[in-house]
Amino acid sequence: MIGATMPGCAQQRGSAVAAGPAVLLALLSAAPGLAQTAQTPADGIKLFEENVRPVLEANCYMCHSDPERAENGLLLTTRAGLLRGGERGPAISTSEPPMSLLLQAVGYDDEQLQMPPSGRLADADLEVIRQWVQLGAPFGGDEDELAEVAPAEDAFEITDADRAWWSVRPLARSDVPAVEDPDWPLNPIDNFLLAKIEAAGLDPPPPADRRALIRRASYDLTGLPPTLEEVEAFEQDRRPNAWERLIDRLLASPHYGERWGRHWLDLVRYAETDGYERDRKKPSAWRYRDWVIDALNADMPYNEFLTHQLAGDELANPTAASVIATGYLRLGIWDDEPTDTELAQYDDLDSVLDTTSRVMLGMSIGCARCHNHRGDPIPQTDYYRMLSFFRGIAPYKVGGGNQPTPVNYTGWIPANLGTTDESSLPVDWGPANLIEVLRVKEIGPEAPPTHVLIRGNPHAPAERVEPGFPLILGDADPGLEPRAPDSPTTGRRLALARWIADDGNLRTSRVMANRLWQYHFGRGLSPTPNDLGRFGREATHPELLDWLATEFTARDWSLKSMHRLLMTSRAYQMSSRPPEGALEVDPGNDLFSRFNMRRLAAEEIRDSVLAATGRLNLAIGGPSVYPPMPAEVLATASQPDKAWGETTPDQAARRSIYIHVKRSLLHPLLESLDLADTDSTCPVRFTTTQPTQALMMLNGDFMSEQARALAERIDGAEGTVEDRVAEAFEAVLARRAEPVEVARGVGLIEELQREERFDAEAAFASYSLLLLNLNEFAYLD
Amino acid sequence: MNYDSERPRNTFCGRTRREFLWEAGGAFTSVALAGMLSTDDFLGAQTVAADGVTAWKNPLAAKPPHFDGPAKAVIFLFMYGGPSQVDTFDYKPDLYPLDGKTIEINTKGRGGTRNQGRVVGPKWQFKQYGECGKWVSDLFPHLGGCVDDIAFIHSMTADAPLHGSAMLQMNSGRILSGSPALGSWVNYGLGTENENLPGFVVMLDPTGGPISGAKNWSSGYMPASYQGTVIRSNGTPILSLDPPPGMSRQAQRRLLDRLREYNEEHAEPRSENSELAARIASYELAYRMQQHAPEAVDLSGESEETRRLYGLDQDRTKEFGRRCLLARRLVERGVRFIQVYSGGNHNDHNWDAHGDLVKNHEYHAGGTDLPVAGLLRDLKQRGLLDSTLVIWGGEFGRQPTAEYAEGTGRDHNAYGFTMWMAGGGIKGGTSVGETDELGNRAAVDRFHVKNLHATVLQQLGLDPNALSYFHAGLDQKLVGVEGAEPIHQIVA
Repeated sequence: MIGATMPGCAQQRGSAVAAGPAVLLALLSAAPGLAQTAQTPADGIKLFEENVRPVLEANCYMCHSDPERAENGLLLTTRAGLLRGGERGPAISTSEPPMSLLLQAVGYDDEQLQMPPSGRLADADLEVIRQWVQLGAPFGGDEDELAEVAPAEDAFEITDADRAWWSVRPLARSDVPAVEDPDWPLNPIDNFLLAKIEAAGLDPPPPADRRALIRRASYDLTGLPPTLEEVEAFEQDRRPNAWERLIDRLLASPHYGERWGRHWLDLVRYAETDGYERDRKKPSAWRYRDWVIDALNADMPYNEFLTHQLAGDELANPTAASVIATGYLRLGIWDDEPTDTELAQYDDLDSVLDTTSRVMLGMSIGCARCHNHRGDPIPQTDYYRMLSFFRGIAPYKVGGGNQPTPVNYTGWIPANLGTTDESSLPVDWGPANLIEVLRVKEIGPEAPPTHVLIRGNPHAPAERVEPGFPLILGDADPGLEPRAPDSPTTGRRLALARWIADDGNLRTSRVMANRLWQYHFGRGLSPTPNDLGRFGREATHPELLDWLATEFTARDWSLKSMHRLLMTSRAYQMSSRPPEGALEVDPGNDLFSRFNMRRLAAEEIRDSVLAATGRLNLAIGGPSVYPPMPAEVLATASQPDKAWGETTPDQAARRSIYIHVKRSLLHPLLESLDLADTDSTCPVRFTTTQPTQALMMLNGDFMSEQARALAERIDGAEGTVEDRVAEAFEAVLARRAEPVEVARGVGLIEELQREERFDAEAAFASYSLLLLNLNEFAYLD
Repeated sequence: MNYDSERPRNTFCGRTRREFLWEAGGAFTSVALAGMLSTDDFLGAQTVAADGVTAWKNPLAAKPPHFDGPAKAVIFLFMYGGPSQVDTFDYKPDLYPLDGKTIEINTKGRGGTRNQGRVVGPKWQFKQYGECGKWVSDLFPHLGGCVDDIAFIHSMTADAPLHGSAMLQMNSGRILSGSPALGSWVNYGLGTENENLPGFVVMLDPTGGPISGAKNWSSGYMPASYQGTVIRSNGTPILSLDPPPGMSRQAQRRLLDRLREYNEEHAEPRSENSELAARIASYELAYRMQQHAPEAVDLSGESEETRRLYGLDQDRTKEFGRRCLLARRLVERGVRFIQVYSGGNHNDHNWDAHGDLVKNHEYHAGGTDLPVAGLLRDLKQRGLLDSTLVIWGGEFGRQPTAEYAEGTGRDHNAYGFTMWMAGGGIKGGTSVGETDELGNRAAVDRFHVKNLHATVLQQLGLDPNALSYFHAGLDQKLVGVEGAEPIHQIVA
């Protein structure tokens, strides 16, 4: 193969750009004993048959002879194949034979382009190939096609079928479907669902009980369990709007931002280190995490939420908060000692573009880095046009060594930047008022040119492109204007943000409406929320999704308003128990014929354990904390003694979202419970069930400590052992224990004391540990 | 009361496990029941996946390979830091007389790209060993005796001459993090044969993990079921394996029995949710693991002769020897993929000989030569070598020239280095590929890390160009979307 690079997809081998004369001189001088002997076309064909073809067969045809599977599309079995070449262009030049790419490749002097990969050919073989190319590379017979040959790259065209794809069609608000049971729907969402449920011959799903509902709502909106008092108050609240009041209370909780912020942090691959050799800490990354929490708590309109992250520094009046939001662009992994500096910069930008397009647009534009997208109508040029919006971003690192260039991605800004009236009260740039932030910076008003890169290789630039949006999404004019010479940025990101944030964007509202549904109902209407294209899965209820998307923009992109809408549907309040026939007719629950049960997420489990034992520290925001890390886990770090920090016990009991996220050293309990991958955007978490989870939940230091804490909290100073068992049960499960459940707990405690010689406290702590391991504790109905 | 602590009581409300799960029926919705029910063909045949149609498969159940492969297990002896090829197995007689001379040579390492350098002649003599007459340096007198079982690949290349990215590539095929490790792919492809132990085990050096730590055994975009489990060779082998102080095995049995009673009551009206049954079963598996894992790492039953074979009787070799012996025990117990690190932390705690080459390599070769030879001999005498693929090597090699103006230290070199394989259907007594006469760059029959990975999969009966996992819109493969050929020349 000629050329062999697919950064982001396969191995990293560079490629040649221009052949310097030196390369060819070296080749010519490689076999001085062989003079040019072949002169005529007939000589050329003879040369090919006798000397060249055997060399090609032995060394090249393994990869370059099958028209269907030829590496890089390069076929060496016909002259047409050579003339057409591969993705890097023609393999031979008829006008300047010595400049032929084929000779560069086999010449082996260029670091980036060496063929065959198994080793340099013998000098004599090289010489005959050179002679043959000099003669125009004749093949003889029928293969000797001299006709004009079409270029290799696939012609790109957007078809009618492409435009009819469900997720790029204009947003349409279909009529709300009629249903047989008009009493069931509480809002139009229910009509959309029930129509399909009825069509499948199923009855409307029954409602969940109130305890299930308040647990469902509390975890969904805050990630925290309700207390027994809250459950009972809700069960007894007979006001007609009790449910709405509960939702409003939860939406007003500052813990709402922590729960929904965590969803967002999964999507943007939030972590606080660079992920490479030294896995360096990124300064003040936590401020971005806090910004997300605050923005969600304040119900910042979603389109503004996106705009600030993409271009908060380019706004007319940036604030400290909007600058911190641009930390979004600095969350990825960074190689602090790259082999290929240029490639590393493109990898960094690729990570930003890929994350942005998947998260905000539900599009896998990243697939078009090396070639046109194989499934969606996204040409490679779209990738680079989109990439160019980020081309002005200052690189993580300038120069050699392994030291990053912090001035390129951090800054000190006034804590109240943009929040005071500058005419009367100047912002204080005094040191005392400055805070350090992780933020985006650009190199100035002009970005470097952006080229399409052949096979994604930064050393093989092709045509130059200008910023532009994906063709399939309308190809609007980005409206870029020249910037003042002293402008710190290009303004490109703001143009991109404006387009993404526009009500008319075909994807933005659809994608987020799908995610909202997913986080509330257990799976997205399209189950592949980061890809609504052909490699994803189609929505089971596309009309409902579009209806929700239009509702979202109509509600001024208010997330809290959407939560209310979704949660006040009948659908959200249905039971997780399958109605008669539902398992047979709808085994995968594609119709939402019952509510999806779910296991609590890793953070919810840890936070709930702390809540049950009374140790949870509900403080909000601030630098990350370092709960104790088991020595066995520290031993996996290359420098165990420097790998982790220290935190007071009170701080260690903060909510899990505040635990320092070090890419190479994740919290073991959270990691085993399927924490989001920190390196790429995580749209849906796995739910695995493994014995190592059980080991940590039964034997880990944290759980032992919490079991003791629960025993201390429920000290049983007054009352019987039955009372104490019941009280601990209620603290963990937020419901009254049945007599048989109390008896079982008492039975265990007595057995451990009698048969295993446990003292009363140890026996009760064991029972506490049991409670924290219950399926009822870890699963929601 | 006499309590049989090894057997759960009142199992599933009086029903057998099989009956319980059969009644539970319905859709298995999660990546659950990891390895728990793999031996139960009945269940495999009766249960279905979330779509209600596809037969349910437990992610770590033993799966048939694509074709019959000779290897059933892999032991990857990872010489972290990068051993120098010209001082170990790549004999370059022309290099000795050049010692100290500055020559034109193109190198790339930690110190960047250079066009000339001062040659550091090989610091050890080489001798021929075995019927194949392989030249091996005096660093490895014991391994020298095993060369007829070994295939050397002298023309390895990698894409990065820096530890972090090169480690990731050797372990996952890519220099960027986020992809599953080789061991994850093997477990994804074949499952594991022992449900009481993890299928992918990593044993680290006492000085610490390698650079990037757990990223080197991460399952990347695959579920956590496939990630490597760190097993310690001393003390408690697996994190949280030991019950807390005061909790005897029997007491824990009692706790688990009560836990199960609550959980079964909870599961009964929710029988369609198989995750609940899976979580119940996972506690039983954890309980069994507590019994089996310590047994697997307990060397007290090994004979004196065996202990000597691995160098457990010598201070310099006992640490690595212990891990090699554990590797054999894990292979015997059906663990699919075992990675053993020689070297950890940074600098001279591993093979990264930037300063004093002699001191560094004497130390690390001295600690591993005897144990590795012992492992090969022991596997062979037990008839396990044929089915166990042993891999030796680092993330790259080292340059023939000095890194600094003074001293013998060598910088990294990804242009050419040596790795070897033995067992598992590999043709012993062979050497493929060559570096140039200075040992600097792979020159003849060059192979890439991808070819090495392809060879490993092939020997296990997996087609490297067919084993794929759908992620982010692509059928991802260990060897990349472009594919790679195994190294056919070293296959028996």
